[in-house]
Amino acid sequence: MTAPILELDHVTKRFAGTIAVDDLSLALRPGVIYGLLGPNGAGKTTTIRMILDILLPDAGSVRLFGRDGLAREHSARVGYLPEERGLYRKMRVVDVLVFLAEMRGLERRTARARALEWLDRLGLAAWAGRRVDELSKGMQQKVQFISTWLHEPALVILDEPFAGLDPVNAQALKDVVLERRHGGATVLLSTHIMEQAEKLCDQLCIIARGRKLVDGTLADIRRTATGQHVTIGFDGAVGAAARVFADRRLVARVDDYGQYAELELAPGADPQELLRLLVESGARLARFQLMEPSLHKIFLDLVGPETAADARGASGPGA
Amino acid sequence: MRKTWAVLRREFVERVRTKWFWVSALLVPLLYASLFVVPALLLQEGGPTRIAVVDSARSTLGDRVTRALEAGHAFRATRVPVGPGIVDSLLQEVSAKRLDGVLLLTGDVVARGAAEYRAANVSFPRDLRELERVLGDVVTAARLERAGVAPALLERAARPITLTTKPIAGTQVSRESAAQSFSLAYVMGILQYMAILMYGVTVKSSVLEEKTTRVVEVLVSSVRPFALLLGKVLGVGAASLFQLAIWGVAGAVLVSQRGILTAFAAPTPGTAVFQVPQVSAAMAAIFLVYFLGGFFLYAAMFGAVGAMSSSEQEAQQAQQPIVWVLMFTFLFSIFALLNDPNSSLSRVLSLVPFTSPITMPVRWAAGPPPAAELATSLVALAAGIVAVTWVAARIYRVGILMTGKRPSLRELVRWVRAA
Repeated sequence: MTAPILELDHVTKRFAGTIAVDDLSLALRPGVIYGLLGPNGAGKTTTIRMILDILLPDAGSVRLFGRDGLAREHSARVGYLPEERGLYRKMRVVDVLVFLAEMRGLERRTARARALEWLDRLGLAAWAGRRVDELSKGMQQKVQFISTWLHEPALVILDEPFAGLDPVNAQALKDVVLERRHGGATVLLSTHIMEQAEKLCDQLCIIARGRKLVDGTLADIRRTATGQHVTIGFDGAVGAAARVFADRRLVARVDDYGQYAELELAPGADPQELLRLLVESGARLARFQLMEPSLHKIFLDLVGPETAADARGASGPGA
Repeated sequence: MRKTWAVLRREFVERVRTKWFWVSALLVPLLYASLFVVPALLLQEGGPTRIAVVDSARSTLGDRVTRALEAGHAFRATRVPVGPGIVDSLLQEVSAKRLDGVLLLTGDVVARGAAEYRAANVSFPRDLRELERVLGDVVTAARLERAGVAPALLERAARPITLTTKPIAGTQVSRESAAQSFSLAYVMGILQYMAILMYGVTVKSSVLEEKTTRVVEVLVSSVRPFALLLGKVLGVGAASLFQLAIWGVAGAVLVSQRGILTAFAAPTPGTAVFQVPQVSAAMAAIFLVYFLGGFFLYAAMFGAVGAMSSSEQEAQQAQQPIVWVLMFTFLFSIFALLNDPNSSLSRVLSLVPFTSPITMPVRWAAGPPPAAELATSLVALAAGIVAVTWVAARIYRVGILMTGKRPSLRELVRWVRAA
């Protein structure tokens, strides 16, 4: 097994009484896309800030590229897209990119050439000489995304990279992430959009209230989920099937989405029995599928009680 | 080091690229030029005042006043013989604007010193002063003659005196006049105050922009906060020096071409009111050294202010104490120090680092202080910069990553201790 490129060892961070990150340990092996999942206020951004030396942990240690020391010393090999976006508003797009690349140790001329290449690739070539504040929010976000990759970092940390993007742009950026991963880059990606994480990430870690709830590959995490899951699609409305769903001997939980429903069966219940009862009830079925639980479902199951408790307590600073 | 340089270059290029930089680069020399041109233009407005002199006593006084007024540049005087209704017809001339005013002399002038001037506009002080002076001279002479003083003696007694004023620099008598060094000190004070405040605030805004846009997160993860602050202060400083250089060159050109400027504005010689100060090399050096010192001192503080605030409004409030110190120093320099450059308060304030960047150049322009005082002031300023930067850098380091409410004074002290 290769040595981890990023390692968090029992890291803890407190802010004025509240615990933001609680004894968190992670390890990223080279070449993976690692998803850091959690509800708002779970401690994702605080964790990322500690990785990047923006915050110092109260306890525990962060190791980058197998070495102790400050992330700043590795800045040439690390890319960072903060959750709160922002660029110098009055600067020209290409100048901002060159400056930020210089901060990562890239030489000016190289930075300029690469910036123009990237802008071209993401359809912003015509905007290179314009001022940042003339760009739309989405375009600015793409510019900032570019700045994360210009110096060709080995480790890239993306905090909610697709938030606020339309599907076309989100797709374009996702393609970049995948392509870079094939090029050998390691990506740490924080998100609370489960569908994205499910498609993109090789490994996942779900945290809530600063604590790790589960981590591993998607398959590992699915195995931790209990019970059998069934998705039922209706030809029309739920109608008579509602009576069957209310039978607690068969169905433990229902997520009703209107056109279809996700069911978790009660322990020991037979899915065939459920199907029989549904047909007898006269409900018109379009689909009946035994399936693995979605990440979304697992996330809700794991995090649900935690966030409920969180809402009652005071929310800590940062996210 | 390379990153500090990149920060410096970005600050400089972005400042110099703004419209404001060039507007103020051009505006200040224009203001400066207007100091020559406007007074001259005001003086020659409308040409000499046309007046009629009526002497109802039919003495020689009317003729003498007319001649004396004609001798100056300000008036075109005509002696009008007295007759019935003459005053009324002259006043009609005034309302028809063929005449500006009428000077009425009676037998009372010599005895009681009373004369009358009727004009459309009696609020032009230069005219009135000239009129009073001429009348006074002529009447005094007439009174002395009546008392039996010989006209030859009178002429000798009336020979004018020329008073030249020269400040003493050490043992040397400088070539400047007191009026010149006064206006120089004045200009120095304004320039120092404006430049330090303007560019200090620029540093604050620049820090604040990085903080509010969160660009600072990306920066701090790749460059030390101190290197960032240093590059920023140096970059803004370089832009301000560039601006001052433009002003300096423009000023020098204006001064060397002032003959053309004033001649263009006022064809009559000797009418320029504004004395053009001579700027010696030592003066320029003092100005520059204290500008740089003051800039670094205040830029560090303004940087800390930007770092501890999270919005422009908050920063406006937080910078108040600093602005007050600057403003007090400026007002003190202009109004109190110039009257008495060697009072003990003036001396103290030109030694204290926070006030010396403005007070010392002003004092120097009014009359150079002893070398020992200058040296002490410079050493104190240098020490002040080191101390203030040390504290400011610590506040900056913690502050730039903080969000939420502005820190209290106690929290600030903790930041400085903890960082």
